[in-house]
Amino acid sequence: MGAHLVRRYVTETDTEPDPLKKSPFDPQLGFAERKEREMVATQEQMNLAQLPLEQRDYCAHYLIKLMKCKRDNWPNFLACKHERHDWDYCEHQDYVMRMKEYERERRLQMRKKRIEANAQAA
Amino acid sequence: MAGVGFRRWAQALSKGRGSGISALLSGCRAASGVSNDSLPGPYPKTPEEKAAAAKKYNMRVEDYEPYADNGEGFGDYPKLPDRSQHERDPWYQWDHPDLRRNWGEPMHWNFDMYIRNRVDTSPSPVSWSTMCKQLFGFIGFMLLMFYLGEKFPSYQPVAAKQYPYNDLYLERGGDPEKEAEEVKHYEI
Repeated sequence: MGAHLVRRYVTETDTEPDPLKKSPFDPQLGFAERKEREMVATQEQMNLAQLPLEQRDYCAHYLIKLMKCKRDNWPNFLACKHERHDWDYCEHQDYVMRMKEYERERRLQMRKKRIEANAQAA
Repeated sequence: MAGVGFRRWAQALSKGRGSGISALLSGCRAASGVSNDSLPGPYPKTPEEKAAAAKKYNMRVEDYEPYADNGEGFGDYPKLPDRSQHERDPWYQWDHPDLRRNWGEPMHWNFDMYIRNRVDTSPSPVSWSTMCKQLFGFIGFMLLMFYLGEKFPSYQPVAAKQYPYNDLYLERGGDPEKEAEEVKHYEI
């Protein structure tokens, strides 16, 4: 908890990635082939559901299903556990992917630094 | 006839010196009336005048000090210390407890400012310098910490959130005629 902040500001200021900046590395670097993320809900469906911008992500189709379930079952607010869990799990997987992307970026930065160091030493 | 007599009687009554009802009724003055020798007078120059002024104001000659004679119009009114009534003993049996003043005591020039509802000159628990240091120290520290928080923000070790449709190009108000910049996201 917070080790990345120490790395970023104190110990490894040149290799720790800045999440606000765009990654300078090729997304395919290190992978044989990468599968594209699949967006299920269409723009028109998201518009009809009137989703706010922050919620129009790759889990929007689960959210729209959840909203429909809640509207159909009102006032039973305990009814949509399954749909809510589906949406939560999708968001959780999205967050784990973000963590993995951060770590990948960090390792690529350290690899780049190692290569440069070797080139200098040689 | 009776009217003339009544007029004469009223004139005779009102000719008497003095103030209020007593003047009309009997022509004599009440003891609460101010006489000329108890009013403030001109600035005292000789020691005798000073002694007389001190006696007039019920003060000791050693304590009596007039305001400077520089045309401001204080005359012989005494210069009392600028202390408000908050600083007087709350437990002593004053004649006027709310004013914390005894009868006949000389009143400060700004007495109405120094009553207990108004200006308070009592000493603060800590000195002025301590108060300044504590307040500005705290404010300065908070400003410093907010500045550091802007320079070195805290965040979770995650990459930016990924959005579909070229980072929601149309939803964020992008021009539908123009071609959006291609943004692809991959699973990991």
